[in-house]
Amino acid sequence: MNNSSLWIILQRMRMPFTVIVITYAIAMVGLLIIPGVDDQGNTYHLSIFDAFYFISYTATTIGFGETPYPFTYAQKMWVSASIYLTVLGWFYGIGTLVSLLQDKLFLREIAQAKFIRSVKNIKEDFVIILGYNETTSEIIRKMIDSNMRVVVVEKDQQRIDYLHLEGFIPHVPGLVADVHIANSLEYAGIKSIHCKGIISLFESNLLNMRVTLASRILNPHIKIAVRSSTDIETSNLLDAGASIVENPLQIISYQIKMALNSPSLFKLENWLYNIDTLDCKTFSIPKEKIMICGFGRLGKSLYNIFLENGIEPVVIEIDMDVVTEAIAKGIDNVVCGNAEDRVLLEKLRIEEMKLIIVATNNDTTNLSIVSTIRSVNRNALVIARENELSDFSIFSAAKIDHIFLPSEILIHKTTNAIINPLSDKLIRLLQSKDEQWGQQLLSRLIKTINVNPITFELNINKTEAVELYHYLSKSDNSIKLNEIRKSRRDRQQYNNVIPLLITRCEEDILLPSFECELKMGDRILFACDENSKDDIEYIVNNVYEFHYIITGEERNYLNKFISRS
Amino acid sequence: MNLDKVIAGFFIILAMTLNFGFFYGDALDINMHSKYELFAAIIVNIIATVLKLGDKTQMGSVLIATSLVADLQLIAAATIWTIYGVNGVIEPELFGVIISLSGGALLANITSVILYIGDTLKSKR
Repeated sequence: MNNSSLWIILQRMRMPFTVIVITYAIAMVGLLIIPGVDDQGNTYHLSIFDAFYFISYTATTIGFGETPYPFTYAQKMWVSASIYLTVLGWFYGIGTLVSLLQDKLFLREIAQAKFIRSVKNIKEDFVIILGYNETTSEIIRKMIDSNMRVVVVEKDQQRIDYLHLEGFIPHVPGLVADVHIANSLEYAGIKSIHCKGIISLFESNLLNMRVTLASRILNPHIKIAVRSSTDIETSNLLDAGASIVENPLQIISYQIKMALNSPSLFKLENWLYNIDTLDCKTFSIPKEKIMICGFGRLGKSLYNIFLENGIEPVVIEIDMDVVTEAIAKGIDNVVCGNAEDRVLLEKLRIEEMKLIIVATNNDTTNLSIVSTIRSVNRNALVIARENELSDFSIFSAAKIDHIFLPSEILIHKTTNAIINPLSDKLIRLLQSKDEQWGQQLLSRLIKTINVNPITFELNINKTEAVELYHYLSKSDNSIKLNEIRKSRRDRQQYNNVIPLLITRCEEDILLPSFECELKMGDRILFACDENSKDDIEYIVNNVYEFHYIITGEERNYLNKFISRS
Repeated sequence: MNLDKVIAGFFIILAMTLNFGFFYGDALDINMHSKYELFAAIIVNIIATVLKLGDKTQMGSVLIATSLVADLQLIAAATIWTIYGVNGVIEPELFGVIISLSGGALLANITSVILYIGDTLKSKR
């Protein structure tokens, strides 16, 4: 029990304790004063200890009888009065203690102390997640899968109960606290050397901003992942010190842009996010007859992307204000109306449309629009936005070609950025590449490895690549990337490995050649299969494997000894 | 005026005075020391201890420590008296032990009162 909960007990128990002592004293004094008669008929007075003994067993309702001699009537009368007095005193004391144990403040103190202790006991890397909901629970699952411990801070007691019911292994400690209070971040261990990052995906921008500022001040070294909803917010958050800022709607429009211009880059990105394999069928976006339902933030940015590519989509928006604003800006093919209205859709010649994007921020509306559209036009490509993760089963059952799930994007992006920083970097570098480049990489990956290669990061440092690090730390040694992709079985053979990225001292080498020389402190991102990953890890860490790969001979101390003598 | 302070001060000082009343007199003369006074001193000391519970400050901790010392010594004295004074007679050397124990408790009580007064003087309200 933490000190403060003990203090709460003591402070609250002052009154009951005093009452018990006073009732005892009164009852004892009475017994001392009233004379008794012993078995020979002599008058006697109870000793102090006799009185204490008698009251102790009477007050606690144990009742051993009248000692040392049967009482006189005067004594009995006093005892009957004092029984009520002392028993009431006891019950008052016990009652206070019981109600104290149910006291909310007290329970919270205990829960908090327990939380702080379990955070202190985490001796591995962990991240702090603020808010517990479907999105973050998915993030927790992914973090735990990649051996990262998690700590949760949530305002709502009920949600914390859900977290405990979920029963994550290893245990995920949860604290009921408001993140507005900087203390709660400290309790969650933000100052710990094991804390690697903090994730704050609140809807409220103000809250995200506050968390960013507070976290940056409390610990300058951790990664801060936050969500934002506009470009201005994004740049503000970056200025405040956030390391990863995610704007799900912007990511969606960016994906549409990629799908429009370079489908293979889109495939690569999905693969890096672990959403899909490399050979999945992505939709190809038609270049005409496009309709967007809903002209909110997502609708607007999608419209602009299509416009940049020389396509002018038809837009339906229900809110008159938004429509007038759009027309004022010179966007003239915005129609005001309800997209669920069949007559209106037919007037807009829905049956000729090739791509329909349903992008309102209400899942029920989106589903209803989709079903109306499907009843008129069966062939168009329908892309819908799904806001709530829990609606997934309904959305996947509806006849939708592609579902945009902002929360899912958040999940993948956050976990990637924290667990695999290199693959996150690679995704950013991809954005500047063109379709042809993507096509080449895609076919190379599929040809050398398989349709779903795994990615893995290697840091050339003392802990992750012991042998390689020792070898490189000797001055005249150098080693090429080619060496570590050799097979452990036969060094003439190569494993199925493609190095995707090397970062060294802020310099990024995209798709390094195998002739590239390795340096200490390099971080390398590989795409490979399980077997090759094992091989690489063995080679860079195991002295015998490393020796074989470099020289082609088995390392043997005995041989060396014999040849010397 | 704070009623809590009045009550706490009352018991703390009463604990000391009762303790002194018991202690005062010839250490070997059983007639000069009333067992009822010892009883009262123990009760008041326990109440004073309880009233000091739950104070997290530095001063509160020292106050409660002095009270616990006084309780311990007085209860030890009463225990010796109860066990060896069953027949109403008690050997002089044992009675000396009882009185010296209560003397120790008196010192603790005096410390407690001094601290309490010091704390009160320091307070601006």
